[in-house]
Amino acid sequence: MKKNEPNWLAVLRTVMPLGLSYIPIGLACGVLLHAAGFNHLLTALISVLVFSGGAQFLIASMLTINAPMTTIILMMFFLELRYALLGSSLSRYLKGQPLPFIFAFAFSMNDENYAVNYLKFATDKHWKPTQALLVEHYSLLFWTVSNIIGSLIGSALTINLSVVDFALTALFIYMAVMQTKSRLTILVCALSGVLTIFFLVLMKSTLGLVVATLIASLTGYFIERHLLARKPESHLLYKVHDPTSQTAMEESDK
Amino acid sequence: MQSVSSMTSMDHFWLIIFCAIVAFIPRFFPLLFFTKRQIPEWFNEWMRFVPVSLFTALVVKSVFVDSKYNIMTSGNLGLIISSILVGIVAYRTRSMTLSVVIGLGAVMIFVLVLHI
Repeated sequence: MKKNEPNWLAVLRTVMPLGLSYIPIGLACGVLLHAAGFNHLLTALISVLVFSGGAQFLIASMLTINAPMTTIILMMFFLELRYALLGSSLSRYLKGQPLPFIFAFAFSMNDENYAVNYLKFATDKHWKPTQALLVEHYSLLFWTVSNIIGSLIGSALTINLSVVDFALTALFIYMAVMQTKSRLTILVCALSGVLTIFFLVLMKSTLGLVVATLIASLTGYFIERHLLARKPESHLLYKVHDPTSQTAMEESDK
Repeated sequence: MQSVSSMTSMDHFWLIIFCAIVAFIPRFFPLLFFTKRQIPEWFNEWMRFVPVSLFTALVVKSVFVDSKYNIMTSGNLGLIISSILVGIVAYRTRSMTLSVVIGLGAVMIFVLVLHI
């Protein structure tokens, strides 16, 4: 990070890749919501209040298949349960913050800005909660504006949604790769993948995601604890090579 | 219950409000609880495995599981190849923008042009 750079610019630089990735996803989401019968104002409202790519795609597709309101809200509940895990894992970096801050932070937290902030908190000791909140607000701005433009474009533009949907997937792959620090993490990823398919097919709901995440992460934790206590020289604890050694540099930078 | 044909903008408004409440509860209370209390060490150690498990789960869901919760056995080869490509790009470059842009380009070629 450059010296003398104003805070708003430094944070914007951090959030820029996410903001740019949000543009195609947000546009597609706006188009979808418009097709589901939302007007521009409602699309803006849902982007600010719900602020979740997955959830908004879900609501739009549920409305187009005439799902009743109670079903949509129930689906939303299970889909959004995973945020409990996200909030818990960020909480250690937000200790001592006042209630209004926690309220504002929780209000605009989602998968993507969580990942940006988690990465910053984990690698940059000078990363502050207020900067993390600013990351959320920048991403909210990118997301809402993209949604509104998508809604305005409406049916005028035909977008293949399975393609645009992949932008979100690519983002998650990137985040998973950036989180992979040891060989054990790769094992946890593989386990999580298998469990996800198993529980999604078994439970027929997004709750399968939560169950798979819980089991895979707990397994990783117990294996690591066992290895550290019994076999500290285990190959599973080896660090994964970083071809750019960027994160190592950032850490030694401090 | 009402269906989409009879749903007015007012219904949509209430749908958004309820969804916002349902979305806010799991974001707020765990965060509040753990920022006010001492977090046990084992919990922190466990939480280090949560993001990577969750992101893998979300990727696997969108690549291998369809909207009716069945395993996709065909028609997702393009998605699988693109995902591997994104993984390689992310590992080599560590760039979020490059990962997303190359991923989108790959999917367009595989799904829209080659139809796999």
